Amino acid sequence: MDRGRQKLNKHLFLLVLLAILALMVFLLNVSAGSVNIPLRNVVEVLLGHGNAKNTYQSIIMNIRLPRALATLVGGACLAVSGLLLQIFFRNPIVEPYVLGISSGASLFVGMVVLGGYSFSLAYVTPMFMFIGAFLGAMAVMLVVVLASYKVKNITTLLIIGLMAGFICSAMTSMLTAFADKEKIHSYMMWTLGSFSGFSWTQVKYLYIIGIPFLIMALLICKPLNAMLFGEKYAISMGLNIRRYRMLVILISSVLTAVITAFAGPISFVGLAVPHMVRIFFGTSDNRILIPGVILAGAFMAGICDLGARMLMAPTELPLSAITSLLGAPIVVYLLLRKGEEI
Amino acid sequence: MNNIILAEKIDVGYEKKVVVEKINLCGMKGQLICLLGPNGAGKSTILRTLSGLLAPVSGAVYINGHNLKSIKKKELAKKLAVVLTEQVSLGLLTVSEIAAMGRYPHTNMIGKLSQDDKDIANDALRAVNAAHLKDRYYAELSDGEKQKVMIARALIQQPEMIILDEPTSHLDIKHKVEVISILHRLCLEKGITVILSLHDIDLAIKGCETILLVQGGKITAQGTPEEIIKVGTIQKLYDIEGAQYNELLGSLEFSSPKSPEIFLFGGNGTGSCIFRALSRAGFGMYCGVLHSNDIDNHIGKALGCKIIEEEAFKNISEATFHQAREIMKTVDYIIDTGFPVGSINARNVDLIIEAIKINKIVISLIPRECAESRYGEWAKGIRYCTRASEVSKLIREHKQERRGTHNEDLQPSDRRQII
Repeated sequence: MDRGRQKLNKHLFLLVLLAILALMVFLLNVSAGSVNIPLRNVVEVLLGHGNAKNTYQSIIMNIRLPRALATLVGGACLAVSGLLLQIFFRNPIVEPYVLGISSGASLFVGMVVLGGYSFSLAYVTPMFMFIGAFLGAMAVMLVVVLASYKVKNITTLLIIGLMAGFICSAMTSMLTAFADKEKIHSYMMWTLGSFSGFSWTQVKYLYIIGIPFLIMALLICKPLNAMLFGEKYAISMGLNIRRYRMLVILISSVLTAVITAFAGPISFVGLAVPHMVRIFFGTSDNRILIPGVILAGAFMAGICDLGARMLMAPTELPLSAITSLLGAPIVVYLLLRKGEEI
Repeated sequence: MNNIILAEKIDVGYEKKVVVEKINLCGMKGQLICLLGPNGAGKSTILRTLSGLLAPVSGAVYINGHNLKSIKKKELAKKLAVVLTEQVSLGLLTVSEIAAMGRYPHTNMIGKLSQDDKDIANDALRAVNAAHLKDRYYAELSDGEKQKVMIARALIQQPEMIILDEPTSHLDIKHKVEVISILHRLCLEKGITVILSLHDIDLAIKGCETILLVQGGKITAQGTPEEIIKVGTIQKLYDIEGAQYNELLGSLEFSSPKSPEIFLFGGNGTGSCIFRALSRAGFGMYCGVLHSNDIDNHIGKALGCKIIEEEAFKNISEATFHQAREIMKTVDYIIDTGFPVGSINARNVDLIIEAIKINKIVISLIPRECAESRYGEWAKGIRYCTRASEVSKLIREHKQERRGTHNEDLQPSDRRQII
């Protein structure tokens, strides 16, 4: 029993540590940039008092704060979505990007952005973007799930997901052939993934939709644990597998959709973060993993966004480039050092 | 009624395709029931149907008198737990964490364990001799330890019945025996009904109360091991070729298909090792005069030896003696295994002396001094060996000598046949 308690204490300590790290990166993201704002002023502005300069006030409130807030929840959404898919498919290399969910979202966002006029939409609202991304993500997910009733082999299922992704990508490129140059450019920028230019409205949507689903993920930690044993064991433990299958798919699709809609397809966070957390915490228990993944996702996305903005400043690098460059070596290093099976 | 599980004339299978038909099964409290049959006979399909993971094609399974279909999954989980053959990817969970997850149907939404839950988990780990593994990661365990942990996990659900699919495959003999004895104990001490499928004929016959033979889409026999295991049952069940299964001894012997060129005198188990060694070396054998209750008789038969048999506890009759002598004349080699001599088999000694008289090659495994007191003068005509391997070497060399040295390449091809 002592060992169990020790382990719990270690986990709680790591969770607090991750929370502090995420907060620090958040503050750093607000403070650093082309105009460096001292941390003291950042805290003052955030707390809503003090006599910070007006320029600081407006930079923080209009540009940096919405972006940093989006990064926090965006990272968490991606990471949790990745974790859920890894459990669902019982496969360690699954993530929204690999499975073609992101491609599905991209296609539908492409239809909204590139084909906006043809659908006689005067302008593209964040809600349209979101609905597009959501429908796209769900469409690919549905194909994969329908296939999963027929195909029991996980690898086959993955390949079906990949193929669905390819079809979506192909259709997206066909769309670009017919679209205006201007729109293509903005769409291409979107596909590179970036947290830049987040408006308060977008942040609001991201939080209103993202946070409830993150909480739902936290609430299904026990069924998720049962799913670790595989479907048959889960049923024998009294789990209503159909309901939770749908729920897991719904949550991971919505989480992917909501972040893809606003920030574009961001690779690797969904793959790397769950692995890092698993190895750091040394457990597969989802009651610990999900909070850990939420915090670590927020932290990772924060670091990557900071890197994207600062490494080659004033040019901003594509976010996906940074997430992959940073995430891949970390995962490989952790795996080699631990030599553990995941 | 203390029927825990009852199935009447159910057909099991996938969708409309029936794999095994008309199964009747009744599991009482504390009973250990075993499905025995070859791979692909449908044992797993039956178990899946009984555990509610698969709907029967026709008929219904009743648990405590209620139709399995109508029982809520969560309630069912408190009555019935399973151990499956599926590989689970629980690498980064410790044994105690896995055990805790077995409390699934009993805990609240986030799976918080009360002190009671923890005690039950610890008891279950102790019951399967796995308490010392508590803090180990599942991935680090051996196959046998993993299986014990999965049984503990099932036990922690506090079910009235546990269904296990091939719980002993991939395990070494120690863990096989351990797993079966654990299950036995659960039946006897906790009154849990255990239904399992097995490959191992021995374990099934010796460890289970009720056996169902599953073969060719049917339950071909059902009852206690004593009732259903008759000579030939297993041979038929598994359609074994190239080996013989002896139900009485519960052992499998590779039979030698060769025509006999050796006459072997055995008795009281002295023959068994030599039978096996010579059979492995590719020799066919006669074995003489053995009483029908002799262990050598059973093993010899399983190996495919031709036995000259006498009724149990009777003196060797004149007729049997003559039969043995005639057969002995047709082979070149006679082997004395050093069988104990008593009044009922004393005539075997006469037969050996007879063989020496007619210049057969007689090989004995008893020390020369003993042979002298047993055969007197004739002991001089005997060749002596101490081990079974020497006997086969001696015979092989002798055969080669007779064939002439230019035929040396015969031996490797001989060996190939043996393999």
